[in-house]
Amino acid sequence: MKILVCIKQVPDMESKFKVNAAGNWYEETDLAWRMNEYDEYAVEQAVQLKQQVGEADLTVLCIGSDRVKETMKKALAMGCDRGAHIADDASYLKDPYAIASLIAGYAKDKDFDLIFTGMQSQDRGSGQVGVLVAEMLGVPSLTTLVEFSYADGTINAKRELEGGIKAKVSCATPALVTCQLGLNTPRYPTLPNIMKAKKKELISIPVADLNPQESLLEVLQVAPPEKKGGGLILEGDPADLADQLIQILKEKTTALA
Amino acid sequence: MENTREIYWNVGHGAATLVPMYLLSLAAVAILVYMFLQRVKIYKQGQTLNRTDQLPLRITAMIKNVLLQSKVLSVRGPGVAHALFFWGFFILFLGTCLIVLQADFTDLFFGVKFLKGSFYLFFSLILDIAGLISILMLIGLLVRRYVVRPAGLENKKDDIIMHGLLLAILITGFLIEGARMAVTEMGTTLSAWSPVGLWVAKALSSMGEPAVRGLHSNLWWLHLLMVIAFIAIIPFTKLRHIFTTSANYLFTDLGPKGLVPTIDMEDEEAESFGAAQVTDMTWKDIFDADACTTCKRCQDRCPAWATDKPLSPMKVVQQIGEIACSNPASSLLETIDKDAIWACTTCRACQEICPADIEHVNKIIDIRRNLVLMEGEFPGEEVMTAMENTEVNGNPFGLAFASRGDWAEGLPIVTLGKNSDVDILYFVGCYASFDKRNQAIAKAFVQLCDAAGVKVGILGKEEKCCGEPMRKMGNEYLYQMQANENIEQFKSYRIKQIVTTCPHCFNTLNKDYRDLGLDVKISHYTEYLAELLEQGKFKLTPQPFDCTYHDSCYLGRYNDIYQAPRTLLAAAGANLTEMEKHGTESFCCSAGGGRILADENIGSRISEKRAQMAAETGAPTLISNCPFCLTMFEDGIKGAGLDEQLQPKDLAEILVERLA
Repeated sequence: MKILVCIKQVPDMESKFKVNAAGNWYEETDLAWRMNEYDEYAVEQAVQLKQQVGEADLTVLCIGSDRVKETMKKALAMGCDRGAHIADDASYLKDPYAIASLIAGYAKDKDFDLIFTGMQSQDRGSGQVGVLVAEMLGVPSLTTLVEFSYADGTINAKRELEGGIKAKVSCATPALVTCQLGLNTPRYPTLPNIMKAKKKELISIPVADLNPQESLLEVLQVAPPEKKGGGLILEGDPADLADQLIQILKEKTTALA
Repeated sequence: MENTREIYWNVGHGAATLVPMYLLSLAAVAILVYMFLQRVKIYKQGQTLNRTDQLPLRITAMIKNVLLQSKVLSVRGPGVAHALFFWGFFILFLGTCLIVLQADFTDLFFGVKFLKGSFYLFFSLILDIAGLISILMLIGLLVRRYVVRPAGLENKKDDIIMHGLLLAILITGFLIEGARMAVTEMGTTLSAWSPVGLWVAKALSSMGEPAVRGLHSNLWWLHLLMVIAFIAIIPFTKLRHIFTTSANYLFTDLGPKGLVPTIDMEDEEAESFGAAQVTDMTWKDIFDADACTTCKRCQDRCPAWATDKPLSPMKVVQQIGEIACSNPASSLLETIDKDAIWACTTCRACQEICPADIEHVNKIIDIRRNLVLMEGEFPGEEVMTAMENTEVNGNPFGLAFASRGDWAEGLPIVTLGKNSDVDILYFVGCYASFDKRNQAIAKAFVQLCDAAGVKVGILGKEEKCCGEPMRKMGNEYLYQMQANENIEQFKSYRIKQIVTTCPHCFNTLNKDYRDLGLDVKISHYTEYLAELLEQGKFKLTPQPFDCTYHDSCYLGRYNDIYQAPRTLLAAAGANLTEMEKHGTESFCCSAGGGRILADENIGSRISEKRAQMAAETGAPTLISNCPFCLTMFEDGIKGAGLDEQLQPKDLAEILVERLA
């Protein structure tokens, strides 16, 4: 069985973000980098599937500068067999369509039975790459999964919908799935695996080799949110406070509509 | 009458006495040696460890600890009883040796006798007193064990055998002496020099000489057989501690205190890390179980045990020994409770008090290392998250590394990246950098340094967590990653001196980092400021206040820094009421051992227990000088409902309020 998991290296969300000089993305100085949270669930599920099936080869793919290799090592340490790094220093300028075309370009001749991705990235948050890749490859996609199981070429999964409702879905492989919070608890890499990861195959493919499509979207401007009014501090007797709070919730929000 | 006695009186000095006596002794010693050699096979199941370096130092330490009973005496009651019993028995043993030496060697072959004259008078008196004290102490210990029954003291079969046999040996000794004196020394001035023997002799005076002689020779052979038995059962009972505990003084950890072995991460051959089976531990870890006499002093002081967590340091030590004997191929955690392993705060109260020099803490860290490094397991998800945060942002909070130096804005302090002309590097640590309550301590320290004219620099966003909580939780890899990055920064700025306000950072930089190549002077702020104060570099105007002081584990037990903080408190005008558990007996705040990262879900709160102890002094302020302690006390005092009467403060805050 051949499995692919696609990950993205994103800045840690606690970082202090500043708009870059061009005004179209965030500046990269003083940022701490890590694996996109949703991609951690994808990697974990892919590794669990590999362990279940036994005879399986798991590749981790990541697009970006050389810096992203650190994050790929973590995926390798979690259990991926090999890494495919698509070397692109300007990947942040590409829209989901262009990114998906790179992944599809890599995957199209490799007959992956299953492709795992995260539901969305923490920095851009489009949530489109997984589905676009599936369409480009002509395979079904199941998104926002919070439960996953596989047997004899069939996937049975649950998708998370609004209001705590889950939808049961299934499809045959080859397919692509995108992973949501709650699907699993990503493992902490063990030291032997961290050490083995240093020796696993990690090839860098120049982005031009994969003939990327042009972006269909262009980012015009990135700006921090406007500062609105400050917080409101309520003080006094708890019973009065409760009344005040209910009033505010009624008037200023739809929480008590 | 001559000041001497006929040795072997009544039993005879011929072959009929000597042959069986020496044959039996030989047999007993043979059993002793053979059984110990068998035991050595069990120790050898463990990994190698060099504990025979600096032999003269080790031998001196062993002789001092054995003869002076210094560690035994650290707990008064039973410690004094044991020490006196030991000295008494040891004197009797030496006396017996002298008798054998004369009777079977110097007199037999060379006609030389030394047990005579004034020497013999004092010899008799000292042995009689020694024997009496031994009996009294032994009875006292017997009463303590079987009548008083202190909580947690388990009684096994070999306890009653040991007490009984030793008492019987001592008592028959006096009966034999009394019987001899009843026939040979009545009415002499000599007899006064064996007062106990004389008392027994008088009690036997109603019996006729033949009966006394019969009693004497029977008891003599009984006494001999019991001593032979005593020697032979040493390897089978707790009596083995005569040798194993003494040996443990020889094999002691020569320090520095609390240093954890550094795993070589470059070792490509290493297949496993930490201890999964008893064979992963060292021979010393297995040997410790034999040196342990289950005196329970460690258990009595363990903060986890005191708050109903399943950790008993004594039990862990004993279980390792049991596993090594009965099932060495098994996984340690099949026997040892995992919750017990995670509950340890590495406070070192166990090791500090242990009279047998047993090393409890590193065994627990070794087992944790296996869980973390080989299984990726932690006591809870919150700990895994803290580890991942540290990997990404260099602090367990997961806050942006770039803002690590923001607390220092506007203060008379430089960031080394911009200006490296400083007197000291202030290694701030994660809590003082990011935690609001503890930032106040960092600011106070900087102000105190400024008043003393010291140029302080910080690494700011280039500083990473010292890695200590991660290391103590078992994550050696993450610790070394953080440590190596910090050391590289220290070297690149050519730092000469580092001061910290956190005892954990202090202990780690000062000891653990040396294994990784750091070679710089490191101080904790209490010692540093105490020195500056003494040199007159800054002045304090004392304002009297009532307080109690908490000796944090990593400053006190780990580094023996007890006086400097008290000197500073006195200079500040403190009226200090000590808690009962202070100094080496201080009770942990619960955050050590990496447990600052974890939730406390079992039993009651250790921090609340300590808050109660502080409140009991009646003092309104609880002073400490560790960010973990301060954090735990803020929570513990509120949790215990004591926030109306007790307030936690750091020493730095007190001092900065009193700057002249």
